[in-house]
Amino acid sequence: MKQLIIVLLLLILAPQFLQAQNKLTINGYVKDASNGEALIGATVYVKEISNGVITNVYGFYSITLEPGSYTVNYSYVGYTTVSQNVDLSRNTEINIDLVMESEELEEIVITADLEQANVENMEMSTNKLDIRTILKVPTFLGEADVFRSLLLLPGVSTVGEGASGFNVRGGSVGQNLVLLDEAPVYNSSHLFGFFSVFNPDAVKDTKLYKGAIPSRFGGRLASLLDVRMKEGNSKNFEANGGIGSLFSRLAIEAPIIKDKASFIVAARRSYIDVIARPFVPLLKDGGALNFYDLTLKTNYTINRKNKLYASGYFGRDVFLFDANQGFSWGNTTGTLRWNHLFNERLFSNLTFVYSNYDYKLQFGDDNLDRFNWDSSISNFILKPQFTYFINSNNELDFGGEAIYYTFEPANAVGISNGAAIDVSLDRKYNLETALYIGNRQTINNVLSVEYGLRFSHFQSFGPGKVFQYNDTTAGIRRSPVGITEFKSGESIVDYNNWEPRASFKIQSTPTSAIKGSYNRMAQYLHLISNTTASNPLDVWAPSSRMIEPEIGHQFTLGYFKDLGAQRDYEISVEGYYRATENQIDYIDGADLLINEYIEGDLLSGIGRAYGLETYFQKKTGRLSGWVSYTLGRTELKVNGINRGEWYPTRFDQTHNFKVAAFYDINERWSVSSDFVFVSGTPTTFPTSRFVIQDILIPYNVNESRSNVRLPSYNRLDISLRLEGKKVRRGKERKNSDYWVFSLYNVYGRKNPFSIYFSQRDERVPQGTPINSQAIQLSIVGTVVPSISYNFKF
Amino acid sequence: MNKMKRFYIPLFLTLALAGLFISCEDEISPDLEQANSIVVIDAWVTDKPGKQVITITETQAYFDNTLPPGVSGASVSVVDDLGSVYLFTEDPAKAGSYVWTPSGSEVMGSVGRTYTLNAQIGGESYYAVSKMGRVPVIDSITFTFEPENAFQPDSYLAEFWATDFKGPNDTYRIKAWKNGVLLNKPTELNLAYDAGFSAGGNFDGVTFITPIRQGINPFEQDDNDEPLSPYFPGDSVYVEIHSISLQAFNFLNEVAIQTNRPGGFSELFATPLSNVSTNIFNKTTGGQPAVGFFNVGAVSALGKKFEQ
Repeated sequence: MKQLIIVLLLLILAPQFLQAQNKLTINGYVKDASNGEALIGATVYVKEISNGVITNVYGFYSITLEPGSYTVNYSYVGYTTVSQNVDLSRNTEINIDLVMESEELEEIVITADLEQANVENMEMSTNKLDIRTILKVPTFLGEADVFRSLLLLPGVSTVGEGASGFNVRGGSVGQNLVLLDEAPVYNSSHLFGFFSVFNPDAVKDTKLYKGAIPSRFGGRLASLLDVRMKEGNSKNFEANGGIGSLFSRLAIEAPIIKDKASFIVAARRSYIDVIARPFVPLLKDGGALNFYDLTLKTNYTINRKNKLYASGYFGRDVFLFDANQGFSWGNTTGTLRWNHLFNERLFSNLTFVYSNYDYKLQFGDDNLDRFNWDSSISNFILKPQFTYFINSNNELDFGGEAIYYTFEPANAVGISNGAAIDVSLDRKYNLETALYIGNRQTINNVLSVEYGLRFSHFQSFGPGKVFQYNDTTAGIRRSPVGITEFKSGESIVDYNNWEPRASFKIQSTPTSAIKGSYNRMAQYLHLISNTTASNPLDVWAPSSRMIEPEIGHQFTLGYFKDLGAQRDYEISVEGYYRATENQIDYIDGADLLINEYIEGDLLSGIGRAYGLETYFQKKTGRLSGWVSYTLGRTELKVNGINRGEWYPTRFDQTHNFKVAAFYDINERWSVSSDFVFVSGTPTTFPTSRFVIQDILIPYNVNESRSNVRLPSYNRLDISLRLEGKKVRRGKERKNSDYWVFSLYNVYGRKNPFSIYFSQRDERVPQGTPINSQAIQLSIVGTVVPSISYNFKF
Repeated sequence: MNKMKRFYIPLFLTLALAGLFISCEDEISPDLEQANSIVVIDAWVTDKPGKQVITITETQAYFDNTLPPGVSGASVSVVDDLGSVYLFTEDPAKAGSYVWTPSGSEVMGSVGRTYTLNAQIGGESYYAVSKMGRVPVIDSITFTFEPENAFQPDSYLAEFWATDFKGPNDTYRIKAWKNGVLLNKPTELNLAYDAGFSAGGNFDGVTFITPIRQGINPFEQDDNDEPLSPYFPGDSVYVEIHSISLQAFNFLNEVAIQTNRPGGFSELFATPLSNVSTNIFNKTTGGQPAVGFFNVGAVSALGKKFEQ
């Protein structure tokens, strides 16, 4: 393995070194002039060679050229372009601060030159959401949220309000890798999916990869959501905050040493329980219903070659129905990073991450009869990453990753009549490691390619027990027949996977491109969820002898075009096809919580997801926004379910149509709106009923799974924003503020979350007929108005 | 999930407080897939003195709110592993009801023995197997007063006291009658795996855990939807523990998952509809399938009148 990587490195590097001998490098950082925040994805374009580079997630760039005179343009959407003349006779460091175009100028945004097209990212299947867009999208209960914007993108869907997480291109919620400053977030939702855990005051940049995932990322089949936090204003003290219908938030950022070190602290807390306390007797006895989170980050520039970053997140949702009974869950993450520049062209970053997700339940109001249960997944990650900017045509990424996981499926103690009984399940220990290498190469003005390889390895080791199960007909629960015990440190099972990644871009005209990609991905963690929608009690399980790693192959092909004199319209059409192996589904009657023999209740099969995404965006002007339409299908085929035939997954949506529009009425008022129409998700309806022991049981005699669809979902939201006065008593205000008035679900449609079948809740004397019913549940069944006040000083 | 449900219900009320103003439920009448009727066998026989009844009916369309149609003309018998045959003959007054009448003080079944149900229905012949398990005695029944809390008014809760046998894998169903009326709502299905809710629970050989002991209380509302105390002085309660096979325990658990649907926010944690299992098989592979269950159980019982 190691030798192979070295050989690969040499093959790729050798010719580059030879030609790079007498070349010189320009490098540096591109930042926002107002607050010192690094700009991610800013363009650095060299006119003379009609080529350039893009800044990385730390705002760093490096470009290697023959000695000579050059004109270098630094540009970033919404910022004034800076042009710099460079007489390149030795390696040069140029750090640029870009100035944001003022609000009034925004309508005549000067976009990048047409020739810069071939510098543009060759990425496809990605969506970047900058925080300014996130803040514009109509809110639920007055609060801007990353998820609200994410769900308006093509290829992204949810099974409905109340569902935690999101689905990408027909993948399950557990097939998304959600990273907050590189720390995996295992449950990215607050309040059952209504809000994300990301505090918009602390978010700088959000990028969703739905396909063409570079080799430096791995571990999930469907997507990668890369959320980057702000570093904190390194120029001035800044405070942002808001008071809304549901919660309040405050973020403070300031330099510690000007231009060298800064920090940001951002906090939120919901207070519906505080407001409701006088009216709800339950809440008086110590009941609680809230969520809160705290996001922190600090950075320190040691010298021009070394930078340190530390960031952390802590958040919890709490539902208590008295002082000591209830339910809570939350994530904790911590990230330490060290950027080191080995030389002008070799950039490195070493990341250390701790991440934990846990939930706790406790019941019983006295010490004789109690039940305490908690479950968690935690991990430590060490990730060295290197980028070698070989020349203006090649950028080489390589590095590795090691993740050590500890799973605690259940720590549970029940006390019955004073006797304590421990029903905990064994912990599980795993190590996931990966090595990767990838190169972005511009072959000529028309063709550029990116190719890479990731090798991943997963190992499960003792102490632990492995159960053997009996063979039954597929679809019937299996029982354990044997047990093997493993000592501490002993290897229980291991898996290896080669994950090739490749993509290309053909710049057919200066304003249009054709892009395609192939990815092989391996996923070693599985989100075990058998409920209608993903919820906070879902358990993560590692691959084991019984549960094999999920494998996905994805192909994408797309056409991208910019329109208009200022290139202010963008249109794209993208097709994808993903075939997956070892997809988990559940035997009827499966018991997933605190079940030592859970593997006997799981089935595994194959999956396929395919679709076409179309996207049209108007980027500038008083009216801006986008329209997205996705036609998709996602299915599973599992022996033992649906007579062994293909069936749609619970989150399959044929049509997914979304519009988001933003309009500036005048200097102070602006309006934004979104409309969503999606096909109903599949569900299983009974055909028949029968009575056993006086209980009415719904039954599908045809043994169909997902045999019907819920009614379609549609919703319109509107939001009005009023900017505070810029001038007060003839003086320009230092502070700024704005109000947001919003209506969620404007026409109050009762969009169904689920339809369930049951006997009526009445006492039926034995021997008399039992009445059946079907109930449609809407989590949000009415228009939800809200108001929030936001300020900055 | 099911084992936690009793714990969750109060929790969901809390959640419902939050969702109260925005969530809503509507009764609907969706079109359903067509399906043929299949045979349903409801065969839960016990060692209680007196007649034992096995009911054979057919599945109905889901929204057909009539009594299930009985299947007449079947020949039904139970055979034990010693070769003793118990014949069930159709009640002429009630189609689909097959009755075994003991001679003298004879009872059906004894602990540890295995029984096979044979049923000839039309041209099909079905069979099912069940082993009778042991059942612990009920030591006592108590009533305790619980002062008003957020969910209940001042209440009297009944509780039975019994201890699971030492040695794992005993499975039970607890049935309760209030003033002679069987508590037969899906929410009142009360199952025990040893003294706890499920396998792997290690609740072996101890007193049944609280939710099981207190699973004999009907939680009902008055005409104004105000919760009522489960019992008042003067009421009586009668409790039976039935030993059930592991398969029957799994089956009833699945029944609880499929039928106990409190709705509202609990749907966020509910599993989609799936078919419950059966232990009734057609002797001919590829023959018409049947649904239902066969269990032979031992019973212990105790009653008490609530006097203050």
